Amino acid sequence: MTESAYITGVGAFLPGEPIGNDEIETYLGVIPTSSDRLRRRMLEANGIEKRHFAIDRSGDTTILNEEMAAEAVRAALQGRGMTAKDAGMLATGTTQADLPVPGFASMVHGRLGGGPMEILSAGGVCCSGMAALGAVTDAIRLGRHRVGVSVGSELVSRTLRADRFASDPGFDAEFLRYMLSDGSGAVVVEPEPRSDGISLRIDWSHLVSHAHRFPVCMYAGVSAPDRVEAGSTWQDQPTPALAHADGMLNLRQDIGILSNIVALGVEEYVGLVRQGRIEPTEIDHLLVHYSSEYFRSDIVRLMSEAGLMIPEDRWFTNLRTRGNTGAASIYIMLEEAWSTGRFRPGDRVLLMVPESGRFSVAFVHLTCVDGKEEK
Amino acid sequence: MTTTITETDTNTWLLEELALVWAGFEIQLSRVPIVGRIETHTATIDDYRNLLLNLRQQVSEGARWITRAASNLTAEHADLRAEFIEHASEEQLDFRMLEEDYVAVGGSLDEIQNRRKNPGSEALSAYMFNQASGENPFDLLGAMYIIEGLGANKATRWMELLRDQLDLGTHQVRFLTYHGGADTEHTEKMFAILRSDLITPELAESIVHTARVVARLYTLQLEEIDGG
Repeated sequence: MTESAYITGVGAFLPGEPIGNDEIETYLGVIPTSSDRLRRRMLEANGIEKRHFAIDRSGDTTILNEEMAAEAVRAALQGRGMTAKDAGMLATGTTQADLPVPGFASMVHGRLGGGPMEILSAGGVCCSGMAALGAVTDAIRLGRHRVGVSVGSELVSRTLRADRFASDPGFDAEFLRYMLSDGSGAVVVEPEPRSDGISLRIDWSHLVSHAHRFPVCMYAGVSAPDRVEAGSTWQDQPTPALAHADGMLNLRQDIGILSNIVALGVEEYVGLVRQGRIEPTEIDHLLVHYSSEYFRSDIVRLMSEAGLMIPEDRWFTNLRTRGNTGAASIYIMLEEAWSTGRFRPGDRVLLMVPESGRFSVAFVHLTCVDGKEEK
Repeated sequence: MTTTITETDTNTWLLEELALVWAGFEIQLSRVPIVGRIETHTATIDDYRNLLLNLRQQVSEGARWITRAASNLTAEHADLRAEFIEHASEEQLDFRMLEEDYVAVGGSLDEIQNRRKNPGSEALSAYMFNQASGENPFDLLGAMYIIEGLGANKATRWMELLRDQLDLGTHQVRFLTYHGGADTEHTEKMFAILRSDLITPELAESIVHTARVVARLYTLQLEEIDGG
């Protein structure tokens, strides 16, 4: 018989002070070809007002991605009254680790300390944090460990600095400077709820890729999304300098096909409703990682029209104040919702994370329980 | 995801199914070359002129198929007939606004008025008039769902993107601006009908079918802007 799995602790780490919209270029530098109007419109569309960067005003990196991840894990364990020694498993999700080799989870484990543990480095973009959570949930359910930790972490700012672009970055890379930022978040997962307060039972999780239907959307390592072929990736270039000159090392997003992510999210959501796994009227808290407020209105309209709306006063996001931190965003949201006392025993919580990388989407359904009452 | 109507309430099934058709339509639209250029800030003034040029015939025919559909509504649907006629009456001169935009961005009035429909517009138009010619053609609610949906969900967005990319003034984007606002009202009326007890399981299936066909033909009309 499989065990249950509960989130029993949460933690987050945001580097440095919050940075306002008018300070972005102080940190990332100025791109000469950039237009004020583009910047203004992008910021209006994404709705972000504050974010954190793990670089200083000189553009120097102040902390590693793996260090931020370890900080979030420590905070989550500490909130549960535990240390790294208690964890039997660590799963990580990040878009770009500090090092290409070895895996990010190895490096985070090295920073974290504790004892020997099972590790998993989930790759990808925003969904990698949810894949890490899914892996830890399964390991706990199968009885392999009594305590597992998953973490989502991103350090993207260093790659968005003006001097990282060989020439005019192009719209598909430049607008990411106004959208993405740094941070990390983690959760502790156990087979029993904690006895001294609330936990979130993990009822089910669902992560699905639609890469078979769609081309690449968010990427790095080639000069254009239709150039993914033998000999044309960054690793095939005679020198790293040539890859840089071709813009292959910059993160890009094909904004022309981005709206597919909303369509895909609706398809999966309707499917889950029809399977009886989501009952929209019974969801008390919806935490969605959307990259930009622009998508929110689209999602709201489609859900309302289809009669599947979760009332907007049940939505929670901190995109405006914490920024879009990719794989870390859903953890950073969950940590704030938890620590500000939004969850009450019996509440149902739905997490949703769409990823544009090559179009995937993840959901997790949680129920808040009070360990004292359950005993 | 093969839920059948019998497993669920008919209106619920219909609205969920239409949302899925819309999702599929969005995916088709994202593959249309001119839509891609508008979304990626790489459209030219020629693109905008071609868009207007290719939409004009279909826009001018909108009131015609709606009134034809109205004339085929039988006495027990007289209230809805009045709504259809009112809707057509509100929209029937929209094409003039579109023509004025075209002239305001350097196009010729004579050219836009006499332009032949592109192959996608021909197919769309023929299908709409065909469907509107049967008795009580409520399956056309599926066509309205797609076409009004475009107005409510895309017109304003495309207007803003084109205005910003091409430095257009408000007098040059009046049609898309008006369409974006007016269709929100029409959409609400349409959803009231889709949620009403007019919807039988059989009708629900034909509405979804028509929505799917119109989504594909509308996409073809936009694809043909680059194909013609």
